[in-house]
Amino acid sequence: MTTQETFSSAEGLGPRKVQGKPLARPDRSVGVQAFIPALIGGLGQTIGRALVNTKEMVLGTRPDPVLEAINDGINTISYPEQRRPYPERFRGVHRLTQREDGSPRCVACLCCSTACPAQCIYIEAGDYEGDKKHAGYEKYPKRFVIDELRCIFCGFCVEACPCDAIRMDTGIHPAPYDSRDQFIYEKDLLLSIPGRHGDHESANPRIEPGEPGFPGITRLQHH
Amino acid sequence: MPKFKLDDYEIEFSPGETVIQAAERAGRSIPHYCWHPGLSVAANCRMCLVEVMPPPGRPALSLDVLRFDEKKGDYVKAKKPKLQPACQLAASDGMEIKSDTSEHVIEARAAVQEFLLLNHPVDCPICDQAGECRLQDYWLDHSGRSKRMRDEIIHKPKAVDFGPTIVYDAERCIVCTRCVRFCEEVVGDPVLDKRERGNLGEIVLAPGRKLDHAYTLMTEYVCPVGALTAKDFRFKARVWFLKSVKSICVGCATGCNSYTDFDPRDQTVYRYRPRENAAVNRYWMCDEGMLDYQRIRERRILRARVQSDPGASATDALHKAAALLKGPGLAVLLSAEHSSEDNVSVLELGKALGAEQFFMTGRPNGEGDNILRNADKNPNRRGILNLLPTVSSLAALEKAVEAGQVTRVLALGSAVDGSADFLRKVPVVALSVHDGPIAQAARVTLPAASWAEAQGTFTNAAGLSQVSEKAVNPPGDAQPGWRWALHLAGALGVSLPFTKGSEVRARVQPRPSTAPSAQA
Repeated sequence: MTTQETFSSAEGLGPRKVQGKPLARPDRSVGVQAFIPALIGGLGQTIGRALVNTKEMVLGTRPDPVLEAINDGINTISYPEQRRPYPERFRGVHRLTQREDGSPRCVACLCCSTACPAQCIYIEAGDYEGDKKHAGYEKYPKRFVIDELRCIFCGFCVEACPCDAIRMDTGIHPAPYDSRDQFIYEKDLLLSIPGRHGDHESANPRIEPGEPGFPGITRLQHH
Repeated sequence: MPKFKLDDYEIEFSPGETVIQAAERAGRSIPHYCWHPGLSVAANCRMCLVEVMPPPGRPALSLDVLRFDEKKGDYVKAKKPKLQPACQLAASDGMEIKSDTSEHVIEARAAVQEFLLLNHPVDCPICDQAGECRLQDYWLDHSGRSKRMRDEIIHKPKAVDFGPTIVYDAERCIVCTRCVRFCEEVVGDPVLDKRERGNLGEIVLAPGRKLDHAYTLMTEYVCPVGALTAKDFRFKARVWFLKSVKSICVGCATGCNSYTDFDPRDQTVYRYRPRENAAVNRYWMCDEGMLDYQRIRERRILRARVQSDPGASATDALHKAAALLKGPGLAVLLSAEHSSEDNVSVLELGKALGAEQFFMTGRPNGEGDNILRNADKNPNRRGILNLLPTVSSLAALEKAVEAGQVTRVLALGSAVDGSADFLRKVPVVALSVHDGPIAQAARVTLPAASWAEAQGTFTNAAGLSQVSEKAVNPPGDAQPGWRWALHLAGALGVSLPFTKGSEVRARVQPRPSTAPSAQA
């Protein structure tokens, strides 16, 4: 050992001697080794906490997780009974907004599926038929399918939409289903999901040319 | 050759050419809507305006205008050169023309673009032209700003039914009259015309008529904007998802050059578009040809079939076919529907099996005209005659079968020009794309790849051999003819003079430089 050390230090290499204050050995007295005082202390804290929680639950005085987060210390959220509220611009599962008559605002332009980096949107376009208002020149999605399992929740589809027809303002994060086909959201399901304020129509009204409120001046008003 | 100068480029032209023609040929395209190389000059869109520099020592043609002066806060008198439409301007030697380098031209283009979009509904999301629309392209290239008009736009008829194939939207129309000129000049059926003027202008049908001649989809295709849209392609796909390959139309013996537009994701062909070829179809294609893509999926045979055993697998079918083909009296029935590659593969297989009698069939004749459509609806009759000048007709095969000279048949193709009932009397092994008379009569049918699913050479009625590229993968168990020929040869224990597709193609495809030595 000594020879080795001498050899190493002669070369300027190898392990150097550790310099520092020696640590005190932990207390290994009988009282500590028996764990009994600590056990009692721990149980006491658990039972005390349970009592406090029960009292808060019964009286309904459980602190708000948001307000609690403002205070110092560790913030406890009793998930899933208590949930941290999502921020206003949280991108949740998609929904399709509706027009006043309940039809989808979507015009099947495929801008969202073009923008989608995960290629999770499938749209089949169709013609409005019969005496529908937009019959003849406007499209609607015959099928609108989003694979929520493939979606990466980037929000590009919402950005790309020229009609404010697809939104991610539901505040819902995708549920952990037990089979893959449950992640395939069809048009009817997407149309039925409300926004976080319970609305189905988009905040931006859709005003056709000629209707009151159409942007710009109409011929009659102008002349 | 005389030359003129366009910006910094010397462009050669032949006398009589217009500036836009020579520039287009030289690859220095001048933006345009109403001009089409195959149509007369209308010069009504004003997009191709260029500045013509005056000859040395002569004053420039100029106009007195009022221009807003920011500093004075008022209009001041100014001069600007008189711009001229390049589509109507005959090129002359030594001419100097400014297009992209003239500030007046750049300003004029932006102004024309804004003007054409004044009453446009900007409904690109629901417009099928989006992605290949001149208004979109030129807006990005030459304008890039929103319009200044605050008035309500002029509303014009939407979704006007022009005929069985075409829908017209007057709000998107820029009234360039390309469609009007196409119907009149190329088709010779002046069914469209223009009414009103200015921002009320629209295209109308002749009273009591519909747009129902044989070139309606081409009328749609010449439209540079989304005013005319095809009902067939309507709302089916967005063009930016589609890929194109150079193909040859197999609708008739004219062999029009086309693009096959398909979606590579679902391997579906969506449409044919004409491809320019001055020697064959110029810029045009007929409706029959442009809708011919529909035939690819119609009544397809996707799995090998054995008549006596509906549950047979592909391997069973191959062995059954090999058993039927073994023996004397074999005849080969070629198909003018199929490419030379398919035909030469089947021909070589027949020769290897000792066949001495060769026959040809194809689709029955249809309607023809003196524009593009040929009455012979087979794309490759000449190709087979080049391979085998002594080939006989289907009627001759019937006689040979009745006389007992033919006791087994190796057939290619689906349709016949005549009756195929006699084929039921002899064992027939067919390589068919579609479930037609041949496949119905055959004891064993093997699924062949269609013209869109394999590269193939077609020789048109004029004797021009042209190559059509592969667009999509063959569906089901379908395979190109040469693969089936190799499989059958393997099952029968004979060898063929080729082992892969490139060797088959080398036997039939035109190769200008090496063709004589390769064939010798």
